[in-house]
Amino acid sequence: MHVGLLESYQPRRSLVHRLPAGVKLGLAVGWVLGLVALPRGWGLPVVGGIGGAALVGLGTVAVLSRLRIGFLLKRLLLLEPFVFGVAALSLWQPHGWEAFWHAVVRSTLCLAALVLLAATTPFSEMIRVLREWRVPALLLTTLTLMDRYLFVLVEESGRMQRARMSRTFGRRSRRSVWQGLAETLGQLFVRSVARAERIYAAMCARGWKG
Amino acid sequence: MSAALEIRALSFRYDDGRAALDGVSFAVEAGECVGLLGPNGAGKSTLLLHLNGILPERLPDGAAVFVGGMALNPENLPSIRQRVGLMFQQSDDQLFCPTVWEDVAFGPRQMGLLKEELGERVRSCLARVNLAGFEHRRPHQLSQGEKRRVCLAGVLACEPGVLVLDEPTSDLDPRGRREFKALLASIPATKIIATHDLELVVELCPRSLLLDGGKLVADGPTVELLADEALMLRHGLEKPHILQHRHPHAKMPLD
Repeated sequence: MHVGLLESYQPRRSLVHRLPAGVKLGLAVGWVLGLVALPRGWGLPVVGGIGGAALVGLGTVAVLSRLRIGFLLKRLLLLEPFVFGVAALSLWQPHGWEAFWHAVVRSTLCLAALVLLAATTPFSEMIRVLREWRVPALLLTTLTLMDRYLFVLVEESGRMQRARMSRTFGRRSRRSVWQGLAETLGQLFVRSVARAERIYAAMCARGWKG
Repeated sequence: MSAALEIRALSFRYDDGRAALDGVSFAVEAGECVGLLGPNGAGKSTLLLHLNGILPERLPDGAAVFVGGMALNPENLPSIRQRVGLMFQQSDDQLFCPTVWEDVAFGPRQMGLLKEELGERVRSCLARVNLAGFEHRRPHQLSQGEKRRVCLAGVLACEPGVLVLDEPTSDLDPRGRREFKALLASIPATKIIATHDLELVVELCPRSLLLDGGKLVADGPTVELLADEALMLRHGLEKPHILQHRHPHAKMPLD
């Protein structure tokens, strides 16, 4: 994974980009809540109809936003494994398949809207709106730090991976690949904890009292 | 008048019992620029972290650090953190906000500055480090030198009287180092600079402290200290090239 993939905001001159962040965030939250609130009892044709209509709506927004459709689809595809993973759990329920498709359609539509939101609205703008909405400050600080250090962590894991590769010779068994990955993750965790302490010190040094 | 910064018999042990600082005492007058030298693991960073109360985690009853005559205790901690600006060794640890503007605004915001005043402070600090126009950049899009300068702007934005820098030039290329040195020279605050960059010390700091094994082993004019080859070698350092062919009593070698 490289850093470019993490950068969700895509600056463009478009109608959607110009819309105030508060409006976009409000619409996205409304969209997600609306989809979650849809009753389960409806048959597949109705769900399909709603899904189709929603898809047309989202597609229009996507075109208006002048983003590359390929980029949006790629981001969505990246998130789909999670959707299918969670949806698969419903297969154990009665009427499993119906519940499965309900979950897949709903979650995909939710995620598609969020991908669009993230691509057209800078993260710092969203945080600012959330602050205006009186979302607890601690949560916002956590989100902001996450956004900032995701990049640092990805770069760091990339460096560790390269260092490992540069001293790896010959064919690698599957076991050693997995072992390497596990060690990298473990190291990354230890380093992150140490880094978190240094960041906290840096925050305190500039007057942080939270 | 009391010293800008005074340390009296400061000792510190890590949780695992290792002694990091052992009875360190010195004073720095207002406007002085002091180099802090020593090999890796000498306790330089640990000492710096004490200067605005990041360490120890629990402040003891008897204070060992005095800033402008004010004892560093829990009561004075907020105002001491405002007076002593600390710049950390790794810029990525210090740049914890999503944009350059936000990061420079962090300190002043904690001090209660708002809106126009805040905007003006951030603007002037960025201009001071020659980064006007960088407000909306994200930290991972900056070069090392730019990161360093944003860090400095973030510290300057709190308007500290004492500036404490930990290895400010360690990851810079020669041009970045030259620019950063010029920048530091232009700041009138009292400065304490921990570094292995001996040329920087020679150029900026008339006086230096030498720390080794948690003890203060020397305190004097930089040029005399660095020219003492035996002392330097004994403490894991070297006489810098810039002094190799100079008389040890010459005042400032780059005049």
